[in-house]
Amino acid sequence: MRTALYTFIAILLLLIETVISPHVSLDVLKPELGIPVMLYVTFFLGAGPGLASAVCIGLAEEGLSGAPNGSLLFVTIVIYLIAAVMRRKYFVDSKYTFAYFSSGSVIVQSGLFAALTFFAHGETRGILNIAFYMVPNAIITGFASILLFSFIDRLNNILLEKS
Amino acid sequence: MARSYSTVKAGFSSVFGPVLSVVSKPISSVGGIFDSYFNVVGAKKENKELREKYEKLYVENQKLVETERENVRLRKLLEFVQKRPNTMIAASVVGEDLKNWFRCVIIDKGSKHNIRQKMPVVTPKGIVGQVVEVDLWHAKVMVLNDTNSSVDVSVEGKNTRGLLEGTGQNTVKMKYVTKNDDIEIGDKLVTSGKDGIYPKGIPVGIVITVNKNKAGIFTDIDVMPYNNFRQLDEVLLVRK
Repeated sequence: MRTALYTFIAILLLLIETVISPHVSLDVLKPELGIPVMLYVTFFLGAGPGLASAVCIGLAEEGLSGAPNGSLLFVTIVIYLIAAVMRRKYFVDSKYTFAYFSSGSVIVQSGLFAALTFFAHGETRGILNIAFYMVPNAIITGFASILLFSFIDRLNNILLEKS
Repeated sequence: MARSYSTVKAGFSSVFGPVLSVVSKPISSVGGIFDSYFNVVGAKKENKELREKYEKLYVENQKLVETERENVRLRKLLEFVQKRPNTMIAASVVGEDLKNWFRCVIIDKGSKHNIRQKMPVVTPKGIVGQVVEVDLWHAKVMVLNDTNSSVDVSVEGKNTRGLLEGTGQNTVKMKYVTKNDDIEIGDKLVTSGKDGIYPKGIPVGIVITVNKNKAGIFTDIDVMPYNNFRQLDEVLLVRK
């Protein structure tokens, strides 16, 4: 129930971002809003719900992007796998730790996508573009994930109290 | 008797006088406060009403300006479509790619409106890109400056041809133009129609830099597209 709700919120945020983007003239203002939610679900609700969330968010991101079929889903699932391993070793104790994880995941996402572009297409044009936006994306996602964490954590507490 | 009454009264009055003036001062100042309070309340209320009125008028004015701009844009679009009847499908841009790695826009027409893959997308200013993915209600358009985009172009009025490739930035690169080809800054580029996607003669952009000092046999050319891809509202899809 909570997994479905958080995943739904993530997809809703992605839709809003897509619609708002043409009106914001800054390219760097495109935070990754799906992966932080997937990370939250994986870290706090478990590996199973995390996988479901990763698949839904990956598919939604692909539907709203011009990325080749399967590429963003693949990248999201790889990040999920890394998060699933990390949740056994690390504990997310605050929203700031969560922001570091989110920013890190954006770096990993960019790196993976660049590698995928290179190996699948054998070209470097797209890689330069991905590298150009990697750090701004990570920074803006870090800030956005602080807000996301606070919001979802509050929602989580309300839902836990009710149940 | 009457005289003594007057004397007593005058005495009282003369005592009351200073007392009255002492008492009246704070009272009058309080009265002033009340007066100014009521005035301020009135002015505040009036100010609030005027501010609301101003804001309403400002919003209406902004709407009118926006409507006027939209009107001009749509009129140009209509003129462009009327020149080529039954060859265009109009669509609105409803979203942009979620990732800044790609230059892709989402339009509000899909397979239900006879939109097909590889359909050229234009505006009255020039070329926008091509349809790369079609859903039932929406389609994704790869914009000219996407790193995966390539368009065969020729220089207007000259025999020079080249391939226009997206860079992910605002300008695009014209490639495979040899150093002895005739090209200079300010040349206008149009589609050559030889790539099998874009019809011949659609305006693309203008040459802004030509560098023949670079090593190799090809000239390094930067092109500024006519369209500002960040400000697309309505586009036209060309039926093949």
